Amino acid sequence: MADETLLSDDLLRQLVAVGHVDVLVGIPTLNNANTVVEVVRAAQVGIATYFPRARSLIFNADSGSDDGTPALVRDATTHDTGTVTASRPLRTTQRISTPYHGLPGKGSALRMIFAVADLLSAGAVVALDPDVTSVTPDWIPALVRPVRDGHADIVAPLYPRAAADGPLVTQLVRPLVRAAYGWRLQEPLMGEFGCSPRFATHCLERPAWGSGIPDGVDLWMTGEALANGFKPAQAALGPRRLAHTRKRPGLPDVFQQVMDAMCACLELHSAYWLARGPAEAVPCVGTLPGAIDLGPRPDAAGMALAFTRDVAALHPVLATILSDATLAGVTAAAAAPGPLSYPDDLWAATVFEFLLAYHRAVMTREHVTQTLLPLYLGRTASFLLQYGSSSPSVVYDALESLGQAFEQAKPQAAAQWKKA
Amino acid sequence: MTQMVADAVRQASVNFVDTVGMLLPRILITVSVVAVGWVIAWALKWAVRWLLIWLRFNHGCDRIGVGAVLKTADLPPADTLVSLIVFWLVWVGFLLSGVDVLGFTALEGMVRSFAQFVPRLLVAIVILVLGVVCANFAWRATLIAAVNARVPSPRVVSGAVRALVLILGGAMALDQIAVARTIVLTAFAIAFGAVMLGLAIAFGVGGGGIARRILDHWFPEHPRSEREEFRHL
Repeated sequence: MADETLLSDDLLRQLVAVGHVDVLVGIPTLNNANTVVEVVRAAQVGIATYFPRARSLIFNADSGSDDGTPALVRDATTHDTGTVTASRPLRTTQRISTPYHGLPGKGSALRMIFAVADLLSAGAVVALDPDVTSVTPDWIPALVRPVRDGHADIVAPLYPRAAADGPLVTQLVRPLVRAAYGWRLQEPLMGEFGCSPRFATHCLERPAWGSGIPDGVDLWMTGEALANGFKPAQAALGPRRLAHTRKRPGLPDVFQQVMDAMCACLELHSAYWLARGPAEAVPCVGTLPGAIDLGPRPDAAGMALAFTRDVAALHPVLATILSDATLAGVTAAAAAPGPLSYPDDLWAATVFEFLLAYHRAVMTREHVTQTLLPLYLGRTASFLLQYGSSSPSVVYDALESLGQAFEQAKPQAAAQWKKA
Repeated sequence: MTQMVADAVRQASVNFVDTVGMLLPRILITVSVVAVGWVIAWALKWAVRWLLIWLRFNHGCDRIGVGAVLKTADLPPADTLVSLIVFWLVWVGFLLSGVDVLGFTALEGMVRSFAQFVPRLLVAIVILVLGVVCANFAWRATLIAAVNARVPSPRVVSGAVRALVLILGGAMALDQIAVARTIVLTAFAIAFGAVMLGLAIAFGVGGGGIARRILDHWFPEHPRSEREEFRHL
């Protein structure tokens, strides 16, 4: 049941007026005036085109925007876009924009969206990122249909990624989630997702909301779904472009957040993942277009040089985290002449040993995660030097091989985790 | 004359026997106190050692960096070191009590002075340990932050931070036990001031280019770097 304190009296009145909905599209916002209108329009057109008979609600949970985002959500229409829908909707898509109180952040917003879905007995829930500029109406059916058809409880997105696109996902989070949770999920950091009301209610009832998990709510939801037997699916959405208008946190902060969330989830779901066997494939809906280069290409050679310097500088700290064999491998990779090569198995061993150090708290946990950052950049440089110009199929095979390396490294790490 | 010499010798013998008779029990008491003290100190040493092993004291010391410092200084592990300190404090206490029993005027008050000194010594040890812990934490935090912020020579910077914190902790510990207080304070003030002045001059005059690069890095005119622009998620 929804926590009554999450929903104000005024909001409850609006929701009661809306009644039961078949599709709930939730949009958490904070100063997204530049991009939110297109996201709302895409959702409206998607619902009108693919679910013309469905009772639907676009619900905006706003974290206190001062740029007029809530008003833009309420006033957004499809009339001035020139969009031609395939059929006229039989029902009006309701829109509600409301502020929420408590900790600002996506976690609190999603919690409110889940509470609304629970109250309205929504048939399917979709969450969209208001910062994404490449969202299209097709994303709505892609995320809703597997849930409505009963094929899935959680629908993760699937984006085409070039070799240099999102290495924090492809080199670290994806293979780690695959090895630990035993599912080949391509995008564990679900920027957009669809879910069943059963999963929304499950998340709502978790006690983790007040304990810092909402800081990494995307990963937490993924872990909750996989660890609690909810059926996962993936929906091919197309490229994901983010607006460049907002000032984003720097890499050290992003890396820290992701690693903290990853480690917190592994601690939380240790009973599940320590006993989980080899990874299973996750069903995919739709066909993924070819990868396109979305951002600036990094200076891989410069990153490799920095890696050599960083490993030498951090050697005494690395010695307290890594085993002798892994430390020797990392040191040798950094000192080797020629193009940097940080092999898959060495990278997998490095990541698992850092996780163990985090679990054992051999030093301040922030220091553990921040020490991994230069190694992650080195691994990224190595991958880009080797596959930066390769075809998508070669990159796919290389990432598949990396996932297998993580799976092979898992049993030893799990045994050490249990001992610790 | 002969009688006088004989009387004097007899008197001296009597005095010697009296003195020995008076001192012997005290010496025996002193030896007993020292021996019993050694046994008690030894027992306490092992009790403390086993307690610390049971509490995984070495593991905790390793986590806060004290273990590494002891290893570098070629000192025994933390639990052994603490148990040795307990042993010597207890045994020296018994030793001084035993010496006090002898009643030598020159040694009077030593026990009282030692009793006053022990708490200060313990506080000094605690300050020193805290100094080592803080120095290690500051060193590691500075090293990691400097590497991730691309600051030149991160090990030099972090090493300097550790040395400063250690010197500060050492000076505070020496001040606590009042060992050459004036010399320590004066030396510390001169050394610290000289280091700061030297760093300021080196950074401002000799390292103008480095200073500019660091300031450009921290406060960029166009706050986008290759590393930041690159999309990691």
